[in-house]
Amino acid sequence: MIATVVGRLSQAFLLLLVMSVIGFVGIHSIGNPVFNIVNAETATAEDIRNAAIALGLDQPLWWQYLVFMGNVVTGRFGTSYIYHLPAFSLVMSKLPATFELATTAMLIAAPFGTLLGLHAGRRQGGLVDRLVLKASVFALSIPSFWLSMMLILVGAIALGWLPPGGRGETARLMGQEWSVLTLDGLRHVVLPALALAVPNIALIARLARAGTIEVEGQDFIRFCRAKGLSPRRILFRHTLPNIAIPIVTIVGMQFGGMLAFAVVVETIFAWPGVGKLLIDAIQLLDRPVVMATLTFISVAFVLLNALVDLFYAVLDPRVRRSA
Amino acid sequence: MTHDSIEEPHHETIGEPLLTVSNLTIRHRGAGRGDGADAGSGAGATNSATTILHDVSLDLHRGEVLGLIGESGAGKSTLGNAVLGLLTSDFERTAGTIVFDGRPLEGMGPREWAKLRGRRIAAIFQDHTASLDPLMAIGRQVEEAVLANNEEPLRREARAVALDLLARVGISDAAGRYDHYPHQFSGGQRQRIVIAIALAGAPDMIVADEPTSALDATVQKQILTLLRDLVDDTGVAVVLVTHDMGVVAEVTDRVVVLRHGRIVEKGITGKLLDAPERSYTRSLLAAVPRLKLAGPDRGTDREGSDEETLDDDGASPSPAPQAPPILCASNVTKVFTGGSFGWFAGRNRKPALDGVSIDLAPGAITGIVGESGSGKSTIGRIIAGLETADAGALAIEAKPFDIRRPGRRSGLIGKVQMIFQDPAVSLNPCLTVGETLKEAVRFGNRPMDDITSAIGGMLDRLRLPHTLLPRYPHQLSGGQKQRICIARALLAGPRLLVADEPTSALDVSVQAEIVALLKETIAEQGISMLFISHDLALVQALCSSIYIFKDGRVEDAGPSGFIFGHSPNPYTRSLIDARPRRFVH
Amino acid sequence: MNVQTLRALCKASWHYRVSPSVLLLAAYVLLALAAPLIAPQNPYDPLQIQAWEASSPPGTMSGAGYLYLLGTDGLGRDIVSTVLYGLRLSLLVALVSTAAAAFIGLTLGVSAAYFGTWVDALIMRIVDLQLSLPTILVALIAIVTLGPGVDRIILAIVIVQWAGYARLARGVALSEIGKPYMDAARLLRLPTGRIVLRHLLPNSIAPAVTLIPIELGHAIALEATLSFLGLGVPIDKPSLGSTVANGFQYLLTGQYWISLFPGLALFGLIAAINFVGEDIRRRLNPRSLSHDA
Repeated sequence: MIATVVGRLSQAFLLLLVMSVIGFVGIHSIGNPVFNIVNAETATAEDIRNAAIALGLDQPLWWQYLVFMGNVVTGRFGTSYIYHLPAFSLVMSKLPATFELATTAMLIAAPFGTLLGLHAGRRQGGLVDRLVLKASVFALSIPSFWLSMMLILVGAIALGWLPPGGRGETARLMGQEWSVLTLDGLRHVVLPALALAVPNIALIARLARAGTIEVEGQDFIRFCRAKGLSPRRILFRHTLPNIAIPIVTIVGMQFGGMLAFAVVVETIFAWPGVGKLLIDAIQLLDRPVVMATLTFISVAFVLLNALVDLFYAVLDPRVRRSA
Repeated sequence: MTHDSIEEPHHETIGEPLLTVSNLTIRHRGAGRGDGADAGSGAGATNSATTILHDVSLDLHRGEVLGLIGESGAGKSTLGNAVLGLLTSDFERTAGTIVFDGRPLEGMGPREWAKLRGRRIAAIFQDHTASLDPLMAIGRQVEEAVLANNEEPLRREARAVALDLLARVGISDAAGRYDHYPHQFSGGQRQRIVIAIALAGAPDMIVADEPTSALDATVQKQILTLLRDLVDDTGVAVVLVTHDMGVVAEVTDRVVVLRHGRIVEKGITGKLLDAPERSYTRSLLAAVPRLKLAGPDRGTDREGSDEETLDDDGASPSPAPQAPPILCASNVTKVFTGGSFGWFAGRNRKPALDGVSIDLAPGAITGIVGESGSGKSTIGRIIAGLETADAGALAIEAKPFDIRRPGRRSGLIGKVQMIFQDPAVSLNPCLTVGETLKEAVRFGNRPMDDITSAIGGMLDRLRLPHTLLPRYPHQLSGGQKQRICIARALLAGPRLLVADEPTSALDVSVQAEIVALLKETIAEQGISMLFISHDLALVQALCSSIYIFKDGRVEDAGPSGFIFGHSPNPYTRSLIDARPRRFVH
Repeated sequence: MNVQTLRALCKASWHYRVSPSVLLLAAYVLLALAAPLIAPQNPYDPLQIQAWEASSPPGTMSGAGYLYLLGTDGLGRDIVSTVLYGLRLSLLVALVSTAAAAFIGLTLGVSAAYFGTWVDALIMRIVDLQLSLPTILVALIAIVTLGPGVDRIILAIVIVQWAGYARLARGVALSEIGKPYMDAARLLRLPTGRIVLRHLLPNSIAPAVTLIPIELGHAIALEATLSFLGLGVPIDKPSLGSTVANGFQYLLTGQYWISLFPGLALFGLIAAINFVGEDIRRRLNPRSLSHDA
């Protein structure tokens, strides 16, 4: 067990290191932040040089990287060029919005998808099964941005029931603002959550279906029937736990993905979350914010993955026992 | 309790039969409806239906064991599944009935089946690992069966009942191991747990589908004895589906012989085995290798190999060939590298091979016998250069090779050719037979000028038609594939050949052919062969000297006559005893 | 699933029962290929665009004499033409990048399996790292590092997709290596190249074939998404994604056609590819539907 934990953590660490290098190098090629400080038209060569020195841009690249890493470790990402706020706290302030969006979406997708898949897998060839197979292909083919727009078109414009964007009113809990605690907030979160949930329902349903078919075909389920157990007991006490492992893994990964990159959905619905912050920052060449966001997202994602891995180890007694 | 008088049935023939199958015909629908739905049972590319069982009738009485024997494709498993109501929807009963205790089984819904199964009819399957839920403790799985299949008084005591069942099937320390998971038990123990579960509802009938095929010979005997004891003690009736005549001989009262879905012959076991009426039954029986414990031993008569007859008392326990051995492996050791989950606690680590030394006599067939995990395959692969050892030495024709280095580097690879167990995966599916054989000739040891005639000659020798050359492996039968593998090995012109369980994956009738073929060709070409197997009788038929492997060590060794005649080694004796007595002379 | 079934599929494709998705896909490809011939205008050519006819609803007649069947976008470009040219771009990018990714991924995966030790460890480490990140993230990092341009997008997509093929190919190759026919090849002392190319590779690529349609769909979606975010194809080459992006602002004022039709075209294309892919998988291996590749 210790071996797995250490292995996973070191892998995670390695990943972060690699990403930091890539991210750093990449960011460096976006524009020149000097021009955020000096006026491009009236600046003299002298001004530009001074500005560069002030930003530390005259140092060799690897030195800048080390400085950057030093800052990362201490949580100092600098100040946003655009908002003039510390980049890190900016990211943290956007976090609750993304979190509640991702959570709502997953709370819709996971149970719904699992039940659909379970039902489809048990009666292969039946109506539900064929429906799930066909519909899931459609759901997985829709580009997320188009889905979001169509949802707005239908839900907000055509039917007028739900607001077309933005985050609703918030209520304070545990020092953060949460919109799901208000009715208005709930109305606002429905469409974006749906946009995120639909492809995931399809993905989870297919996975659950595949898992159910595979497990139900296995000899031990056959043996359970031969034992005389009721179909219900077989389903819930034997089939479900055996398909749970891959589903949990995917749910974890997808959740991390949503957390990290509900970029498109957030952009379209003007949802003030971390993803939108990142895209805006890239487009506005707001380097500190880009670095802060990428770093934060990477750390969160990698940690989440490691958690899912460990969870997997806990769930499966074959792995657990060898510890 | 040994089963002595096979001739007499052990049941009272009075009373109604418990199970009656009458004129049962079952068809299997081919690949499912075109779109959407898939049967997924892979019945092949045909879209037409095939008849799996044709007009099958039999009956079963309480307290008796009925054997259903047939080769692969005979339909015996389908019959077993039909009786259990576990046939998938792509099977269809087109005629006949199955009546259990006066009640017809057709048209019963899943709920009625659930009530019947476990309480009246129970099942034991071949794959003991796959029968148990890997995520649930075994005690709870037994308990579950108890709860599902019993009424109130017993249900309250479910755990106690489960413990009792586990003890009855021979799980030692049932209480201590109650919360362990299936993977923590051995194969034999798992099968015992499966039997305990089957007994949980005190059923009237058990359908056992190849219950011992996946087990080692000694364990097989234990499980069969257990089943027989249970039948004698409780009067439960057992339908025993198998392909192994030995199992039938050991434990059944009556037997039904199936072939291509039809009943060929049926009757009381003892009578049928003594005097089979039909030629198919006769051929099935004849194909079972017999173990001879008396009389002159049969080895290959080659100059230079020593013939130790049984009359020679005080025969030396190891073969002493007059010519120097063509291959000498000494003190080979290999430690297990990794396992399915990567980590082994220090004390669990058993070496794959521990100081093993074997010699191969030139021009002779040497046998290695062992059960699974004994290391017999590993030593074969090390000799061929496919695997490395951690320590030890190897010399072929007095030339040393460093077996700690990979075969390519040490120059070992290519000196020895191999024939593998499963012909289905032993041939490159992308190459035709002709291409495979051509490659063997081109790159083998003996450069040949006329490749075509060399291949043609080999095919003739192995009695294979030349029309097979442009075919792909999946178009050949198992026996044909294995013969092509032999051809490939021989065409490479080796002096040494290692055959690793070359017949285990084949039907019994084909086995005998392959063995005879091997013997012939080896003799003709003057090759020395190492024959690895778990089957004592096969080894006796072929080999002049034999090594017995256990847990990575050489447990016993000697000329064939010694091993089967008067070896004092208890393990050797237990292996011999595990054979059904009927097939021992 | 193996080479036999692949061969059987090729033979069977002559008698292939033509399904609607195949027809649709074929239609898409034909339209894309024929775009310069059938599109009323060339949206890349600023001279053909009549800016004063911007945001015209579908069915308006243009000044130049042809019908704006699906309307015009905010810059006056005919939607039909934009869709046709955009399809060309999407298909081109997707096909090239999928082919490259498959080739690189398969080669690396099989090599990793065969050569083992440090080669395997290195390649798989990279693959694992990459596959544990969401594709958008990898694509974003790649684009940000590489800069804009069609060729950069192709490169970015290749970087995103090769890892999936590599992992799949390695898995299959590993289990093939364990099979006795590989041992037999080693026993014949065949040269390494021959073993890998003649024995290992042909038997390892079959499952990857099922991956290609899926990844093709992903490639199209990825390019569209990147363009949508403004990080993809440059503005003057209208991609389906960027057109949808441009049309977003008009959505709220009721000019739905700018976003609707290109998006619909995209949706249809990806769905058709996915359905065809599903069909291929089902034919190659009836069990594959229960394993999702």
